[in-house]
Amino acid sequence: MSNVLRPYLAAVRSTLTAALTLENFSSQVVERHNKPEVEVQTSKEVLLNPLTISRNENERVLIEPSVNSVRVSIGIKQADEIERILCHKFTRFMTQRAENFVVLRRKPVSGYDISFLITNTHTETMLKHKIVDFIIQFMEEVDKEISEMKLSLNARARIVAESYLTAVSLSLNCPYI
Amino acid sequence: MAYLAPIISDNGTGYSKIGFAGNSDPSFVFPTAIATRGSASTSSRAPAVPSKPGHLASKRGVEDLDFFIGDEALANAKTPGYGVHYPIRHGQIDNWDHMERYWEQTIFKYLRAEPEDHYFLLTEPPLNAPENREQTAEIFFESFNIKGLYIAVQAVLALAASWSSNRVTDRTLTGTVIDSGDGVTHVIPCAEGYVIGSSIKHIPIAGRDISQFVLNLMRERGEMASVPPEDQLRVANKVKENYTYVCQDIVREFRKYDEEPYRYFERYEGEHSVTGRKYGVDVGYERFLAPEIFFNPEIYSSDFLTPLPEIVDDVIQQSPIDVRRGLYKNIVLSGGSTMFQHFGQRLKRDLKQLVDRRLDQSAILSGSSVKSSGVEVDVISHKRQRYAVWFGGSLLASLPEFYTSCHTKAQYDEIGPSICRRYQIFGSAT
Amino acid sequence: MILLEPQNVIIQTTLADKLNKPSSLDVQFVDYDGVRFHLSTPEKKTQLLLSMHIRCWDELVQYGALEILGREYGSLLSSEAEPEYNVSLVIDLEQVPADSQAREEFIKSVALFKRHALAAPFELAFKTQKSLEAQGSAHGELMQIHYRDEEAIYVQAASDRVTVIFSTIFQEETDRIFGKVFLQEFVDARRQPSIQNAPQVLYSNRDPPLEIRSVAGLRNTDDVGYVTFVLFPRHFANPTVADSTISHIQLFRDYLHYHIKCSKAYMHSRMRHRVAEFQKVLNRAKTEVATGERKTVSGRTMVSR
Repeated sequence: MSNVLRPYLAAVRSTLTAALTLENFSSQVVERHNKPEVEVQTSKEVLLNPLTISRNENERVLIEPSVNSVRVSIGIKQADEIERILCHKFTRFMTQRAENFVVLRRKPVSGYDISFLITNTHTETMLKHKIVDFIIQFMEEVDKEISEMKLSLNARARIVAESYLTAVSLSLNCPYI
Repeated sequence: MAYLAPIISDNGTGYSKIGFAGNSDPSFVFPTAIATRGSASTSSRAPAVPSKPGHLASKRGVEDLDFFIGDEALANAKTPGYGVHYPIRHGQIDNWDHMERYWEQTIFKYLRAEPEDHYFLLTEPPLNAPENREQTAEIFFESFNIKGLYIAVQAVLALAASWSSNRVTDRTLTGTVIDSGDGVTHVIPCAEGYVIGSSIKHIPIAGRDISQFVLNLMRERGEMASVPPEDQLRVANKVKENYTYVCQDIVREFRKYDEEPYRYFERYEGEHSVTGRKYGVDVGYERFLAPEIFFNPEIYSSDFLTPLPEIVDDVIQQSPIDVRRGLYKNIVLSGGSTMFQHFGQRLKRDLKQLVDRRLDQSAILSGSSVKSSGVEVDVISHKRQRYAVWFGGSLLASLPEFYTSCHTKAQYDEIGPSICRRYQIFGSAT
Repeated sequence: MILLEPQNVIIQTTLADKLNKPSSLDVQFVDYDGVRFHLSTPEKKTQLLLSMHIRCWDELVQYGALEILGREYGSLLSSEAEPEYNVSLVIDLEQVPADSQAREEFIKSVALFKRHALAAPFELAFKTQKSLEAQGSAHGELMQIHYRDEEAIYVQAASDRVTVIFSTIFQEETDRIFGKVFLQEFVDARRQPSIQNAPQVLYSNRDPPLEIRSVAGLRNTDDVGYVTFVLFPRHFANPTVADSTISHIQLFRDYLHYHIKCSKAYMHSRMRHRVAEFQKVLNRAKTEVATGERKTVSGRTMVSR
């Protein structure tokens, strides 16, 4: 992990840990409803101030806490066209499998690439610090994965081009076959 | 012609049948096997671990192109460094990485088609999870950019294949499908294109068991003594494919054979696959005993004892009452192990007896003089039974309405993979 | 499999099969670039009729496809093509050489049917280059082969080279971006000392190269790209070299698209792996809740989801 990344992740980690103080909270508006307040946004008094932690204009995290749920949205680094498409593919692939990732939101909050929704049920059935670990690890690895994918794409492209051109020039006096 | 012919791909546990719509036979039939670099640890589900970036100069990065499929995979099974995997298990896709690459090579190496230009019809086993459909759609639309996709249930396609028989007058998608391949036999009731999932039954007797049974019989009679051990199963297979038939009465058949052995006994001539030495075996009672294990399973197996006609009857009796007549009337055979001569007739006769007996009994029990008009039982055999599922796909995909039933790339891009959870049944209103 | 093979596998296997055991047949299949084939036995079991439909047949004939097919297949070439198709071969199975090696050769040559047809403009260009070199004039005719709906190959001979230009269109965003990466590598790859002999490759996005700027009806949008191969006389110095060059150049587009798709498949398997890893991390967060098996009165098990 680079030294620049560390404080960023540390900030996210502590904010998230602080935000994950959730309790069961029934809706004040509709009887017998118990919905994540951060999603329904019906009673203002149970919503806390959302905050953004940002490293630069692309890489940023939006944390929206409320009394019974926290929404975490992550913006992933995208330096160029290739990273943009790879990131899009990756996040889509993951949200496609949101069923297994209980805390994953099926649709990212607009302006971000991927969102997580952690409710009081999740904090009750899972270890809180491990959920935070998961989010931090995701942030760490997704960057790495995307840049690795980009590198491997380039490497592939080179091999593909080379093998084609080698094949074309094969019958000439080529020292490599 | 506005479109190039749709591609039909029926990937089964054992064999894949692949070809173009409109043809009567698949262009390729080869094992659903893939030979990749690395050990053949069958349980390993991890893909090739992405290697570290850095050494771009070497040929690193295209290891995933180094593989063979189908017959070539089996041929390379012994090559050091390769391991054979079977990506489909029990009809369902088990390893998506392998399956994606399997499809990749089928399309580009064997079919030589550009997926952008083609519609695809894929098959799935009954009771396939919708998630699997989504993943399939994801692969086909995102990796291959295909024009349109239709995923059909194998049993329904087998029903459609029976339309080619001249005995079928109305093209219905209601019927019972008996699908017997190499590994297992299924009895699947379908009502108007939908599988009645709760009443499906499986029979653990299929092609492989019949071959084994033939082998056992011939060994017991001492015929196999002249055959080299490594060829015995192959010989048994040949005997099963070429000489067997279903008889109507075992006792009479035995008597016939004993009276005139020269007329009924056949001779099979073989050649040793390595040394070329010739040998011959007499083929006798196994000619009619082999397929008999469907009707009297106790002659082969000790733990499964229900005859096929009874299973079929059970399945239909468990189905909703309003479709039972349709299910009895249209029993369709599919798969290589239903190809025995007179198989259909025997099944029909046995089933008819069961049904009639029940009707008589209920008439006696009710004590009323009102008599049932009877239930029509019919078993349809046709020429395309062996690749019935594929053929049914070929038939449906050459109908003009196929294109409107497909989900297209544009629809997929708009809605996402969930669009493939549901497909329109042919000939139904939306 | 990195490189694509020039021959059609279906023709190859079917023909080999039918030579062993003639039987009646009627199949239709395809090849790259929207080529359709129809293989049938219209009259008797030993007489196969192989018909081919190519979108750009008229253009190919103009550039001498019939002569090339005539040279390759001789009397097999049927004088009249089957309706709906452009050209037909009549193969009499009884006339096929019996010797196994000659037979192999024969099957292979039939399987290259499409390749030979598409080779016409290239062979013509190679010939033109030779005569241009002798005469000392500058440019030959610009040959256009519209082999797909929206894409075309342009071939032009000059006194010292033959230029082959592919126009490419990527319909999908991902393909376009992946394609760009690949094409850039094609341009750069030649810096490698081992493949300095390869044809020079140029790639331009949107702007057509000089040679075809005069052609009418070129699209001018972002998704169009032009790939130029500059073949020097050493690439077609003798027939074998020329043949292999043609076989490869023809399949360029298919090769490119094949590898774009393979890359996407590879990305998928990486992502599957990574997502499975993430899943493990998340599963570690789950606490073990010891729930005993719950049963109903009748003994059925309740499963909580």
